[in-house]
Amino acid sequence: MSAPDFDTLFSTAGVRGWLHAADIDSGREVGHGADVPLPTASMFKVPLLVEFCRQADAGLLDPSDRVTVPAAGRSSGPTGISAMLDEVTLSLRDLAYLMIAVSDNGSADVLLARVGREAVNTMLAALGLHGTRVLQSCQEFNDSMREDAGHPWPFVDPDDVARLRALDPERTNRSTPREMSALFGMIWRDEAASAESCAWMRAALNKQVWPHRLASGFPYDDVAVSGKTGTAPTLRTESGVVEYPDGRRYAVAVFTRSFSTALNQPRADAVIGTAARMAVDHLRR
Amino acid sequence: MDLVRHLRYFTVVAEELHFGNAAIRLGMAQPPLSQRIKRLEEELGVRLFDRSARQVRLTDAGRLLLGEAREIVARVDRLHELARQGQGTVLKVGVPPDLAPAAIAALVAGFREIKPEVRLAPAEIWTADQVTALAEGTIDVGLVRHPVSAPGLEYGRILVQAQGVLLAEDDPLTAVGEVHLADLAGRELLMPPKEGEPGLHAQVLSECRRHGFVPTQVHQGAGLGLVLAGAAVAFGPKAELPGLAWRPLLGSPIMSRVSTAWRVATASVNEVIGDFSAVAVRTLKERAGMTDEGAVPARRISRRPGMLA
Repeated sequence: MSAPDFDTLFSTAGVRGWLHAADIDSGREVGHGADVPLPTASMFKVPLLVEFCRQADAGLLDPSDRVTVPAAGRSSGPTGISAMLDEVTLSLRDLAYLMIAVSDNGSADVLLARVGREAVNTMLAALGLHGTRVLQSCQEFNDSMREDAGHPWPFVDPDDVARLRALDPERTNRSTPREMSALFGMIWRDEAASAESCAWMRAALNKQVWPHRLASGFPYDDVAVSGKTGTAPTLRTESGVVEYPDGRRYAVAVFTRSFSTALNQPRADAVIGTAARMAVDHLRR
Repeated sequence: MDLVRHLRYFTVVAEELHFGNAAIRLGMAQPPLSQRIKRLEEELGVRLFDRSARQVRLTDAGRLLLGEAREIVARVDRLHELARQGQGTVLKVGVPPDLAPAAIAALVAGFREIKPEVRLAPAEIWTADQVTALAEGTIDVGLVRHPVSAPGLEYGRILVQAQGVLLAEDDPLTAVGEVHLADLAGRELLMPPKEGEPGLHAQVLSECRRHGFVPTQVHQGAGLGLVLAGAAVAFGPKAELPGLAWRPLLGSPIMSRVSTAWRVATASVNEVIGDFSAVAVRTLKERAGMTDEGAVPARRISRRPGMLA
């Protein structure tokens, strides 16, 4: 049967949308602009998590190593150690958990410095994900927006938003819907790292706290949703995995850009879930 | 001439209004059929069909005699049927009134094939009434819905079938390929009568609540009028019915479980009951999409941080 009418769905929510969904085990897929390069915003924390695990698998780092992160100089952000006021000492893997569960920028930048962004990019190329690149840390990403707009957050003036390098896939962390869902598929099939590390990554991604995007499309006790969001002015995304009670599982990546620059757009968040549900429903027919 | 046989040919030709088609239905060649109709016309002294036009038409006399001919053929059939029944045992069977008509027909036909000497007397009875009827000996064997608990009954192999949901075809929920019970929240539900199917009622409603669907009202009945009107939804096996749409239920939470049941003490017809059970299992699998009961999958509740925060 023909693919669902994603264009109409996205436009009634006031956004443009791109997506890719695939049955993790059969490979059956559905896409809508699946190969368009798009900014990942915080979803870059997923490839960072994968490289972190691979270095742990290779013995290059010990995930239980404790690091002390001073209060001064921490990357800014609304959650995790970015939002905390005092010096913290945490293990590397607990930083990784905060980076995924609450999208903590402070934890992400500590790990990115430890792992190295070139290592992340080398890993992505080795996995065949040539459209996915990590160019910026969270702090660089936030600084660029302040520089481009000429003022600090919030960025709601359409002219400011139009200037942001953070929204230009050539100049910021980028991927495509297909490659984000492919990366999640590899994590769920134990291909991205060792089986033990993949299981730990799945558990961390399942602990993500946000219910308003991907998970909102599957409001059912017997359906599991794991994922990682990404947000920048007018950009709302989430990639993840939806697991059905019959054991079938689907990797889904949905990217949206809203026409309006308003920060609060619940419908734009929810359409990510609705589109994912339509895509999964399509794959199950 | 064998008047009854000729009248049977007449009724078939009158239904088909085409000698070729009628001959195929009767399993004979067309020329002898034409010949026999001609002989019948001679016998009765009237023309039954008007063959002058390109199509075959009943004449006025033919139309007048057709009803009478049908009556005669039906009565003769009934006479033979009664004569057959007088010879053999009768097995009185209870089946749920909402069992698919095709399944009931296949059940009767399948049983007649292996036990032509036993006449099957089926009656439509809900599970609870079947239990009573079995105890009283009003029926010999039943086809019951589980869970059912009754002392002194034995059960055949349990067959299961995942139930889907029947919706009015213009229901917005038909846009998805699969419906979750939680999606039905706020709707009314049509179920078989609670008195007739108490076990089914309790089990289905508890599954519904567990999955986020508390029907605002539970209607009781076997007809699907309320569903057709868009006033309620109903659970059932896959069906293509005009005006209705069927969708599978995500996670298969509602399972229909049926088996044959009989009284432990019905030794006299035990062998026949065994035959009937075997036919029932085969027919329900082949014709009603049922399968052997497997291990019940463990219910999994997905954990989301928001549930605990």
